[in-house]
Amino acid sequence: MKVVTGVVGNDIHVVANRLIEISLQARGFEVFNLGVNTYLEEFIDAVIETNADILLISSLNGEAEGWCRELNILKSKYPKLKDVIFMLGGNLAVGEAKTQEIVPKFKNYGFDLVFHQVDLNTGLDELEKYVKARK
Amino acid sequence: MKKNLLVDIGSTYFKVCDGEDIQQHFRDFNKDIFDDLKYKCADIIEKYKKEEVFICSSANGGLSTLIIGITNSFSLKYATNIAFNSGINIIDTVLYQNIKNSSIPSDLIDVVIITGGIDSVSDIFNEDLFTYLEQVNYSNIVYVGNENDAKFLSQNIKNLVVLPNIITNKLQVNENELKEYLTNLYQADIEGKEDIKHLYNITSNQIYSTPYIVNRTLPLINNMFKVADPFILVDIGGATTDIHYSTTLVNDNMVKNNEYDRLVFKKLGVYKSKESLIYAAKNNEFVYELLAHMNVTENIFQEDSDKALRTLMKLAIFLVLYKVSEAHPLYVHLKLDLLKSIVLTGGITKVLKQEEAEDIVGFFYKKILNTTIKPNIVLDSNYEIWTLGITQ
Repeated sequence: MKVVTGVVGNDIHVVANRLIEISLQARGFEVFNLGVNTYLEEFIDAVIETNADILLISSLNGEAEGWCRELNILKSKYPKLKDVIFMLGGNLAVGEAKTQEIVPKFKNYGFDLVFHQVDLNTGLDELEKYVKARK
Repeated sequence: MKKNLLVDIGSTYFKVCDGEDIQQHFRDFNKDIFDDLKYKCADIIEKYKKEEVFICSSANGGLSTLIIGITNSFSLKYATNIAFNSGINIIDTVLYQNIKNSSIPSDLIDVVIITGGIDSVSDIFNEDLFTYLEQVNYSNIVYVGNENDAKFLSQNIKNLVVLPNIITNKLQVNENELKEYLTNLYQADIEGKEDIKHLYNITSNQIYSTPYIVNRTLPLINNMFKVADPFILVDIGGATTDIHYSTTLVNDNMVKNNEYDRLVFKKLGVYKSKESLIYAAKNNEFVYELLAHMNVTENIFQEDSDKALRTLMKLAIFLVLYKVSEAHPLYVHLKLDLLKSIVLTGGITKVLKQEEAEDIVGFFYKKILNTTIKPNIVLDSNYEIWTLGITQ
């Protein structure tokens, strides 16, 4: 399966980004890593160009809040995106925040899977379960 | 004395370099270029054998392009960048998902470029593309998208040229084949002009486009001038203005082999494109401040004087910088705040003084970039860049 990944917005957490790429490759995914400082539009465009199955966006320190709100609007422009799995993970809020509030908020933005302060491998295990369940 | 005769055919002037001596002649537009050249420089031309004559030309004014791609961030962006850097002028881009509602260009398009998807993708294009293309008047069409769709498109589009994908499997740009194809089209356009064909009566060497020649000289520029990197070179001509720039000035996440790229502004010149230059100036939000700064009024546009020509040249410098600044999102955006040097070449160096060029650049930096720090200005007053490049 093809996965487009990268770090959204003004976020340069390059080490985390590289770890995600390596972990995805180790699990057999074909990875297109857009790196850090990536706009949401670029993620969507990369999914279109590669016909990817999954978009996995990572974010630290609340950057996703400002950069991912328009996911549903962008998804609506491209009918081909209806089968794509949209996943977001990392530290999704600034300061203290409750997971039970954050997860529904980002799901409302258009993400299928949202992981706030969850270990990378746990998140990827959940992704694989989700993929299996959709088949 | 040098053993070659160098000739540059511009849209307004032609320049002839005989040894160390460079002559500049205003073209007679009632005559064929070859006849005009022979009439004015017969005694010089006679002294050289065909293999000793090197000619370049920018008199064709460039080509027009329509690009059809599937995303703004990759296929359209990559193809647009390659086309710009091949000396092609972009007419229009179409995002494929909007193709049904896209307007049809009314002018003849020299080349249509279709692209989209990495090689493992397929079935991107369908009947909508063919319906659209049936309404477009074009001379050439090239496909540089995913390889799986190439056969289907070739079967349905007449005379389609298929080249390797410009998007690699790592989503990076592969510019080589498309750039070569477009550069050759540009070259063929020059050679195909009846006026230019006749020039092969006096040379056995290939006639190249002037922007191509200038671009080849850039890595050697420090042999001639003290130019700090990064720099841009601006060649303001009668019909077009070319801007060559260090690729370090572009922040587009594209990995490329070339150190220098170029843009051609087709309708930005001080003679043949004078009207469109004035139109662009009048529509610029800073026009009145600019005219006040130069101590002239709008009436200068109706004049035909030395002062009017100097004003147009200053406007051309301002407008070309404006077009590549972040104030103008349509073209490639250069990081002008990092720029260390601006090299001016072409006819402008015979008209403007160093301080006049510095003054207008200073005004641009103050008004648009809000800084008093400006790059160093270098004038190529003796066409050294062209004379070196043409014999390389």
